[in-house]
Amino acid sequence: MRTLVLGIGNPILGDDGVGFHIAQELARKIKDENIDVKDTSIDGLNLLELIVGYDNVIIIDAIMTQDGEIGEIYRLRPENFAKTVHSTTSPHNANLATAIEIGKKCLVGQMPAKIVVFAVSIREVTRVTEEMTGKVREAVPGAVNLILEELAST
Amino acid sequence: MTRKIVIEPVTRVEGHGKVTIHLDDKGNVAQARFHVTQVRGFEKFCEGRLFWEMPLITARICGICPVSHHLASAKAGDVILGVKLTPTAEMLRRLIHMAQIVQSHSLHFFHLASPDFLFGMDADPAKRNIMGIIAEMPELAQKGVRIRAFGQKIIEMLGDKRVHPDAAIPGGMNKALAPDRRDEILSQVDDIITDCQFAVDLIKNYCSENREMADSFANLTTGYLGLVDGNGNVEYYDGKLRLKNSQGIILEDDIAPESYLSIIEEKVEDWSYLKFPYYKKLGYPGGIYRVGPLGRLNVADGCTTPLANKEFTEFKQLNSNGIVTGSLYFHHARMIEMLNCAEEIKALVQNKLICSKEIWVNSNKINEEGIGVIEAPRGTLIHHYWVDASGKIRKVNLIVATGHNNLAMNRAVYEVAREFIKDGKVTEGILNRVEVAIRCYDPCLSCSTHALGQMPLEITICESDGSVRQVLRS
Repeated sequence: MRTLVLGIGNPILGDDGVGFHIAQELARKIKDENIDVKDTSIDGLNLLELIVGYDNVIIIDAIMTQDGEIGEIYRLRPENFAKTVHSTTSPHNANLATAIEIGKKCLVGQMPAKIVVFAVSIREVTRVTEEMTGKVREAVPGAVNLILEELAST
Repeated sequence: MTRKIVIEPVTRVEGHGKVTIHLDDKGNVAQARFHVTQVRGFEKFCEGRLFWEMPLITARICGICPVSHHLASAKAGDVILGVKLTPTAEMLRRLIHMAQIVQSHSLHFFHLASPDFLFGMDADPAKRNIMGIIAEMPELAQKGVRIRAFGQKIIEMLGDKRVHPDAAIPGGMNKALAPDRRDEILSQVDDIITDCQFAVDLIKNYCSENREMADSFANLTTGYLGLVDGNGNVEYYDGKLRLKNSQGIILEDDIAPESYLSIIEEKVEDWSYLKFPYYKKLGYPGGIYRVGPLGRLNVADGCTTPLANKEFTEFKQLNSNGIVTGSLYFHHARMIEMLNCAEEIKALVQNKLICSKEIWVNSNKINEEGIGVIEAPRGTLIHHYWVDASGKIRKVNLIVATGHNNLAMNRAVYEVAREFIKDGKVTEGILNRVEVAIRCYDPCLSCSTHALGQMPLEITICESDGSVRQVLRS
């Protein structure tokens, strides 16, 4: 079984980069030839090519929610984003949930059987900096452990 | 971890896709503004870094077209080093650039734009999206996925395993193209060209069957800007700037990219983070111009490849002066370009020098200023760096395609709003129309943030006293 751990985020955009940083940390810890650990700043449909061909994918990203506390970690499934599958509202790109749906329909048989999303709650994403804010930075070790546990149980 | 969280609606970036329409006392549109949120602090972030780092840093600016920033930045670096690339390095840069355009144009057309015209602008939004296309026209959606994947694959081939582009460096490229990779591209490219031709025919027929609407929808009088090659052909990687007015008269020609400041000035408005570039000689806002597929085709005299040139010639005949002005024709122009780039990819990989390992030249020189200009999928992209004697960045100025089109997008929204709001009456369908008008320009709003969640378009309609009358959300 081939597994991809994919950190999404922009490391020069502060807390937006949390997924990137978690993936970098995991890359140092994971030594398993069946597990690829990657990071990327691309988004939406462009993620499709990255995940096809794997059996199991763990996506790590930042998330902004209505009532989330900064630094909280969520374990989500694509179904949790069902309400956001709606590409026309974005004038520019399709979101992750839409990308997964498109993949299921257009790349039949190539999509991972299981996709889990680990998301860290953040608030500010418009300032260019390599530094994350305190609570988001502090969430990294916890998220790393949760993902290692997830990998161990699959 | 067990608490229920609300994911919808989520707006990652405040102000994302926000439109404000101000009415006068008679209830007619006085002003319409399209707000773009940009990230802050980028210039400061770059100060003190070596120019060598810039292609990697700037590739992070945009999650949609990282290759464009990457290449414009490397080109600025070439100028700082004062070097001329080897023929192979230039071809590889062109190859990755063409791949990005194919990838980006196909994503936009098949997945974002096609539902608007295949289902009609008034179709239920629940159907008028890519999932609707997949359900009703699966073959079309498949073509979109295939063309995009082809472009993306080439981008990855030229990178160094990493997902993010790191192919180009000042002075050339990092990695040569392996012959087996070249053969892989060559084995697929003819099918991709056929698919691209299909896409051109689809949008061409749509525009011709809906001629009146296509001609009138968000039809603006503006100038056009783009790069052309030495023969006046559409050029994406390395040409001279040409600017035409709406009648097709050349106002500026043969402008070296490093002289962009002789024709362009930027205006800051307090309600938008994004600056408003304009043509200097006509002033602000009279110097409004458009870039991107429509801009490039309008300024050029031809395309470099046979199939695309045939389409280009037909496109030019849409108007007697050779200038096509309706915003919906952006899609038509975009597909001609996609065909052009796919044909270019074929020509590049057929060149016997493409796999040469001579891909980098160094120099000890450090010029104080470097300007790199390319045509990104969305239009002219300018990177301008000032460095000190050790090559550390002192100052950075970037003008992105969405910036060039900023005035035009605001004007387009205004034109659409004026048609749909009369004497205080808001006609149904305005939200869709505004959305479609903005989408023609394929604006890059997010600049580096990616979305887990929905990014709704929000239109606020304000009375003449500034009070909010109505908020529409998609």
